[in-house]
Amino acid sequence: GQTGKLMYVMHNSEYPLSCFALFESGPCLVADANFDILMVKLKGFFQNAKANKIESRGTRYQYCDFLVKVGTVTMGPSARGISVEVEYCPCVIANDCWNLLMEFMQSFMGSHTPGIPSVFSTKHDSIYSPADTMVQYMELFNKIRKQQQVPVAGIR
Amino acid sequence: ELERLSNLVGKPSENHPLHNSGLLSLDPVQDKTPLYSQLLQAYKWSNKLQYHAGLASGLLNQQSLKRSANQMGVSAKRRPKAQPTTLVLPPQYVDDVINRIDRMFPEMSIQLSRPNGTSAMLLVTLGKVLKVIVVMRSLFIDRTIVKGYNENVYTEDGKLDIWSKSNYQVFQKVTDHATTALLHYQLPQMPDVVVRSFMTWLRSYIKLFQAPCQRCGKFLQEGLPPTWRDFRTLEAFHDTCRQ
Repeated sequence: GQTGKLMYVMHNSEYPLSCFALFESGPCLVADANFDILMVKLKGFFQNAKANKIESRGTRYQYCDFLVKVGTVTMGPSARGISVEVEYCPCVIANDCWNLLMEFMQSFMGSHTPGIPSVFSTKHDSIYSPADTMVQYMELFNKIRKQQQVPVAGIR
Repeated sequence: ELERLSNLVGKPSENHPLHNSGLLSLDPVQDKTPLYSQLLQAYKWSNKLQYHAGLASGLLNQQSLKRSANQMGVSAKRRPKAQPTTLVLPPQYVDDVINRIDRMFPEMSIQLSRPNGTSAMLLVTLGKVLKVIVVMRSLFIDRTIVKGYNENVYTEDGKLDIWSKSNYQVFQKVTDHATTALLHYQLPQMPDVVVRSFMTWLRSYIKLFQAPCQRCGKFLQEGLPPTWRDFRTLEAFHDTCRQ
């Protein structure tokens, strides 16, 4: 048979009516909230992997046209790190405002400012969508899963 | 007897300077029908409004803000000699000018519609950065509203929404700048040159999120990118950085 691929089902409180299903390097499906129920019905085809739910919970801030979400990443009962999400809302082309975003992040994150996310290089000039946010979260959560129990700040 | 009594009742209109409105003040039930106090307030308000309007017109007349070639105050005798006014242009001419400008810049597309009578309404889409709604009066630009590329520019019945502002502060700022620009570019005899200059100025916003400020070198000032474009050189400045 085929080796199983991992599929992630994700929810984002910014888009409460949607459910995102994504493969590691593949397409991302955006469905409505009933998708969860559908997954339960398809239990025969999918195996629920042993890993565990990982979530990031925190506060949402707005500054001018920026949206900043700072959350604690928890896996089960233990806290594994901190996630910071920065979004510049008026711009729809990701690559256009990277420098602007970086300047903003440097103002409060200093040396922790990350490099350009990998999704940006594949997007070129297409419009940014919520699925791209979920891909970035997936990469972050995977990085945190791979690390052992030592809590490290994971910033995206 | 009745006549004697009737002569004793004084004529109210002689004693009351306010005539009929003064009689309202005699109403004893003030809380249910506060007509008199409302009347007084309305009167004071309209007086103040008149006073302020007088002051404003005095200030505004100091600067000549006429953008059209019409000449006011020309005596009725001379008017029939028909100085060509640029306020009355055939719509086909306006359409042609706009179409030519549309073809001038590849990254800018202009859609013209006339939902409300003869004044043209343009929807200008600049790359994937922003959308501008321009309301015109023959070939003069009357108002503009700048919104983000992903914002909705139509009302619920599908018509162009020319009133609601953008949700983003950066585009509200750019709207203010665009209004300044449409007042700045003035040439009463050649309105199509004016429209062309305005569109050229607007096109410089294609790099709204990418260009740093020419004065301070940074991208952000108080959370806003450089939203000002100089009218001559089209360089980007922060609103607080321009001279």
